[in-house]
Amino acid sequence: MTEKRVLIIGGGVAGLTTALELTRFGIESDIVEKSPFAGGHGIQFACKATDRCVKCGACVVEEKLRDVCAHPGIRLLAATEVMSIEKKSRFSVTLRRSPVSIDPAACNDCGACFTACPEGAVQQGFSAAHNPFYGAMEDRCSRSSGGSSCTICRDACPQQAISFSPEPAVEETAADAVIAAYGFTPFAPIDKPYGYGMFDDVVTNLELERMLRRKGLPLRPSNNALPEKIAFIQCVGSRDAKRGHLWCSKICCGSALRLAGLIRHRHPQIEATVFYIDIQTFGKDFDTVYPKYQEDLRFVRAIPADVLAADDGGLKVVYAADGTHESREEEFDLVSLSVGITPCTGAEKTLSALGIDQPENGFSGASRDPGVFLAGAATGPMSIAESVADAGRAAIEAAAYLAQ
Amino acid sequence: MPSSEPIELTSLDLARCRSWPYSQDHCVTCGLCASSCPVSGVDGFDPRKLIRLISLGLDEAAAESRWPWICTLCGKCENACPMEIDIADAVRRVRSLRDRDQVPGILQQGLEAALEAGNNLRLPTEDFIFIIEDVAEEVAEEPGFEGFTAPIDKKGARLLTTIHNKLVNTHTEDLKHWWKIFHAAGEDWTISSVNWEGTSWGYFTGDDRAIKTMAGRIVEQMETLSINTLLWPE
Repeated sequence: MTEKRVLIIGGGVAGLTTALELTRFGIESDIVEKSPFAGGHGIQFACKATDRCVKCGACVVEEKLRDVCAHPGIRLLAATEVMSIEKKSRFSVTLRRSPVSIDPAACNDCGACFTACPEGAVQQGFSAAHNPFYGAMEDRCSRSSGGSSCTICRDACPQQAISFSPEPAVEETAADAVIAAYGFTPFAPIDKPYGYGMFDDVVTNLELERMLRRKGLPLRPSNNALPEKIAFIQCVGSRDAKRGHLWCSKICCGSALRLAGLIRHRHPQIEATVFYIDIQTFGKDFDTVYPKYQEDLRFVRAIPADVLAADDGGLKVVYAADGTHESREEEFDLVSLSVGITPCTGAEKTLSALGIDQPENGFSGASRDPGVFLAGAATGPMSIAESVADAGRAAIEAAAYLAQ
Repeated sequence: MPSSEPIELTSLDLARCRSWPYSQDHCVTCGLCASSCPVSGVDGFDPRKLIRLISLGLDEAAAESRWPWICTLCGKCENACPMEIDIADAVRRVRSLRDRDQVPGILQQGLEAALEAGNNLRLPTEDFIFIIEDVAEEVAEEPGFEGFTAPIDKKGARLLTTIHNKLVNTHTEDLKHWWKIFHAAGEDWTISSVNWEGTSWGYFTGDDRAIKTMAGRIVEQMETLSINTLLWPE
């Protein structure tokens, strides 16, 4: 069976896990990841252990990524997209590589390109397994978007590791089965009344995760100081019929509580308030951590209506108080919006080529093609643990198909 | 009904309000309505509680409570509601459940006056005309508005406008802003001398029949005066 090869679309935890599981059956794979940094959303998460592990799953993603990078049977293609895919006797696939490439063999992770880029297009990775540790975001790079001939990053690189190709490099490849593990798109809370994009100190839970992963500190973006009071607003873009998002995103209660618990553990002087509808305790491990959070955090059972600017640079959160039910304003200096998991956008052409049904809610259903398998949050909201389990299932199904 | 008082669950009947078309069963009690409500907290009011009462079939308890009358029907809750529940409409429906003699006095008295006399104030037609003409004269004294008159019962005018009763009572100055705009725009407009009331308190008391009567009268005026366009600033 070793001649069989699988194409995995998406290098998040589901894609990485599927690749690793397939190697158990001697099946090699190509993982195609459009971002320069594999590991999906999960690789951006901080370990949220306090005096003990709180089973957040962040380390699992790190482990999967390291294992994938070390495995000779898996080819991880970051900054790469599927341009077209067609089923003949096998799947024939055209891949498109980013026009800005950093040679991992030459790069010494000095960060000169990151410092030099005037557009913020060069970004840092999140893991030691990101090699190179820096990558160019195509959508921000003026060479891609504006057709400019900017060479600042290349000129800044002391290792001559950066090269530009005039056209994005195209690679033809073939696969016997495809795993669609392209994940989810976080809800963009722009039109919610919380001032996201307007107030620096209103961030998403994913941004707070990144901040804690990179700096270890929950700093206010406006002044890089520790906040005194943090508000966590739940269900932003989930359970929202107006946006056609009727689903609970499942992970946000656990995420917000674990983030708040971690911050309070490290900085007991910071007050954390969770504005919620009802705490969704998905997963068998939740009970082991929830009682502590119930003691340690303040809970208000209402979703706020507004976030307004306060005179002193803080943020006024408008919410119905527990007990009295009056609508009141309370000042916070950092607000974290727990944004929902929404269907992945931008992959429509590939989905259609793979015969994948798109039910009304936008998450992927099954494929009409027996050689196409879905894994992870592409099919609906999932935690890291659930994505790993689902990826295992997809790998077994794919292996069984290839054995026919 | 204070929020701490227990509700008698024997009267709970989930099917009871099922025909109500306000999507009340979709409520996830997120509280966005209460957070955005300008009167939430007054006597323990919270739009969530009212919606919950009717989704549980406790419409009688909802009708007996003061909450529907604390609500100003401003609609901020509906705007905030992620589940598209027609909260203000549901409140109005609950108001309609009360016997009319249990409707808060000032609203019901105003409505009865309007149904009997054509306006909430029981203002006689001659007094109404006097006030309109008096205010029009004041406008005509202002520079740029020489010769201004407020046309009453002008047949075939392009636009009929209704009047809020407070504009011929305590807020006559506010009539002038409209009129000056009409004047500057060269609008062909008129006011009816009878049934000019634009305020329909049936809306606030939950009396659909009264709303229909009041609206019917305005339509009747349009027909009598052969006017096709209505400005109903309410």
